[in-house]
Amino acid sequence: MNKCPHKLSLTLLAVCGMLALTSAAVLAQAKSPSSVLLYTSVPQQLATQFADAFMKKRPDIKVEIYRAGSTEVGAKIAAEREVGGIRADLLWLADAPIYYDLRKRGELLAYISPESKAIPADLKDPKGFFTAGRLINMIIAVNTEVTPLKDAPKSWKEFPEHGKKAVMGNPLYSGSNFVTVAAFVQKDGWGWFERARATGVAIVRGNSEAATALAGKEFGVAMTLDYIIAGLIRKGAPLVIVWPSEGAISVPSPVAIIRGTKNPNGSKAFVDYVLSKEGQEFLVKQEVIPVRDDVKPPPGQPSAKQIKFLPIPYEWAADNAPAIREKFEKLMLQ
Amino acid sequence: MAAASIFVLLVVIYPLWQVLFRSFLDAGVLSLKSYQKVFSYPSYYRALLNSVWISCATAALCMVLGTLLAFLVVRTDLPGKTSLRTLLVLPYALPSFFAAIAWIQLLGPQGYLARLLLQVFGSAAVPWNIYSAGGIVFVLTVHYFILVFITVAGALERMDASLEEAARASGAGTYRIMREITLPLVLPAIVAGGLLAFIGALANFGIPALLGMRARFFVLTTSVYYALAIPDFGLATALSSMLVLVALISMALQFGIQKGESRYTVISGKAVHPAELKLGAIRYPLFLFTVVFVLFISIIPVLSMVLTALMKYWGAPLTTANLTLQNFTYVLKLETAQRAVSNSLFLGAVAATAAMFVGTLISYLHVKAKLKGSRVLDFLATIPYAVPHTVIAIAMILAWAKPPVSLYGTLWIILAAYLAVYLPFAVRTTNSTLQQVHDSLEEAARASGAKILPRLRDIVLPLARPGMIAGWILVFMPAIRELTVSILLYAHHTETIGVVVYNLQDAGYREIAAALATLVMALLIAGNMVIRKLTGGVAGF
Repeated sequence: MNKCPHKLSLTLLAVCGMLALTSAAVLAQAKSPSSVLLYTSVPQQLATQFADAFMKKRPDIKVEIYRAGSTEVGAKIAAEREVGGIRADLLWLADAPIYYDLRKRGELLAYISPESKAIPADLKDPKGFFTAGRLINMIIAVNTEVTPLKDAPKSWKEFPEHGKKAVMGNPLYSGSNFVTVAAFVQKDGWGWFERARATGVAIVRGNSEAATALAGKEFGVAMTLDYIIAGLIRKGAPLVIVWPSEGAISVPSPVAIIRGTKNPNGSKAFVDYVLSKEGQEFLVKQEVIPVRDDVKPPPGQPSAKQIKFLPIPYEWAADNAPAIREKFEKLMLQ
Repeated sequence: MAAASIFVLLVVIYPLWQVLFRSFLDAGVLSLKSYQKVFSYPSYYRALLNSVWISCATAALCMVLGTLLAFLVVRTDLPGKTSLRTLLVLPYALPSFFAAIAWIQLLGPQGYLARLLLQVFGSAAVPWNIYSAGGIVFVLTVHYFILVFITVAGALERMDASLEEAARASGAGTYRIMREITLPLVLPAIVAGGLLAFIGALANFGIPALLGMRARFFVLTTSVYYALAIPDFGLATALSSMLVLVALISMALQFGIQKGESRYTVISGKAVHPAELKLGAIRYPLFLFTVVFVLFISIIPVLSMVLTALMKYWGAPLTTANLTLQNFTYVLKLETAQRAVSNSLFLGAVAATAAMFVGTLISYLHVKAKLKGSRVLDFLATIPYAVPHTVIAIAMILAWAKPPVSLYGTLWIILAAYLAVYLPFAVRTTNSTLQQVHDSLEEAARASGAKILPRLRDIVLPLARPGMIAGWILVFMPAIRELTVSILLYAHHTETIGVVVYNLQDAGYREIAAALATLVMALLIAGNMVIRKLTGGVAGF
């Protein structure tokens, strides 16, 4: 093997060597003390551009990003906990229940940012363990080429009537779907889901799959997240956002600092920037609905105040998570 | 032997033990609670049964399809067989969730075929349903038959023609020769390839996740993912252990089948290439069949991906106004994408080379040197193939993120995971390759005084080379696009291609993700051409 007499192996060896050198150079840039590591489920582009904007303002702090879906971040955190603690300094996920779990375990650092005064009380933890950094909303999206707008559901109540033409994400995969289920169940019990099952509403993996299947005309209406639909509309897809009459499910995507952080000051500076007017205005340019009252929402989108929200029972959802998931699985997935 | 054992211990046994151990833990105390859950909830044991029958069906179809095509391409005078071969291997470079998406685009309820039927018959209802168990088996088969194809093609190439010629001289007909001589000779390769397909289907997550959900059809890998989402670490590890158990049983069965292995060895090494079978009258009908098949399974999915990459957004009407190159320019400018391509090429090349090196060593110890305990080593090295990639990634964190050896956040932990994931490919392919090199050649060399290294260099390796190159490619191609392991292990600056594609796709930028996947595939095709040029057509596909 070590003397495989072939041009191929020589070529490969040369290629490997070159790559090893370049990679070693990359690895040599070890984590400096002034850097902070952010675990996030915010879309890659948005997260990167946002971090760049922050670093322009604070060149002394380097933000490193690990971006994955909420489930992957959750699994990574669970594994890291087993081997000496969570490595991240900052979290910015869309999966609200995970923050309640982390708070209960005492793994978050309390920090009340001076910027958080401008943020409504229902979007922040009273002790400052986490504060909403952006608002994403579970809404009804309609593909007008499949379901004309006049036939589209105006409320969550009408949604199951669209049966096989309707699609929603799976709460066993997606955190924002999970809080939606919790909100529905807390309000009206499981009746909505029983109807949805009877009419044949489709369940797909997550919100982006629901959105792409809707854009691909496999469905006429979808329960999914507003910013994904806004992005598709911007590219020209024939989609419309309907704000349900009972209220949208607003999933605050909170920022939090991990208690074991080696760089509390850098982490706090990042949280301040997320909540600042400047940071929120940056997000608005990317179609994100701001958490501050004094920042105007993206054109055509409502502000946090104008949106009617369905209350989300976070504590209850976090405490009863296994039971809710199990019931959903029995009712909808078997 | 010692080196190989340490390697297997470090990248396979120790990390997986970390997982297995935790499946017996409940809040820090030893307990069987997680296993109780698996067997008391119908949805979990149903997932187990689903996994088993889906994988059996997939493996059976793969063996038939892969053997048939390998035979046509290697042993007959089928026109254009070299290009057909390249095209057959092509879709293997697609990430499996992209393969699933491509098939949804083609066969889905709103797919291209349904739209065609609507225009021809005026009815959009297609008589099949891709979102079903049958759809999963179909896509898995199309995705994995290549494993049988590559191993069997390698075996057929190395086969000694003299046995067939002797039979022909004694008056046996072509059909009889095939059935009584050729087929038994390549049987180890067929079974080895079938086992790879079986376990591959068992451990696949992307395809059942995309196709099974709407049919409310679940398998073990999707259940493991649920358990991680809850998060119930004990349940996830218990379910993974069940998966490994199924794989172990199937491997044990294969070991049983191949007990009388010397039956299959062939004295090879004479430069006699097996005679090309003249297809005669059925040459062109078969050619037509193969072309249609290749078109269907290779060209169309790839085209559908390229088409998506050229669209302004996914689902846009197919008009020239909606075509754009901006997705490609976007990807080319994306810094993370450039870094990911260099990381993945590095990881793929190193993982493939190291895995083939260790794999050959293990197979040699087992198949040729027949050392005591080498069979166990061989067996152990194949286990990780059955473990869902998510679990392997977690195992690596548990094993290698703790001081004193903290590889966490570096490329090396991803490399360790890739080695665990792909070592089984290397072991299984080299195993069947080495089985075909008869012991007598080496014995002759030993009798003439050759030591082990010259024996390996001058006899075993030259004969096993086509099989080893095939194995290298079998590792390199999936490693280039690996997702599930990388997504949990990557850090800033160690992104891989799969991670970047997934993150783009997950944010709803399916067309940009497709553009990156298309560029990677173009890169692989170009690389393949270079390898073929450099080696005069010996290596590459």
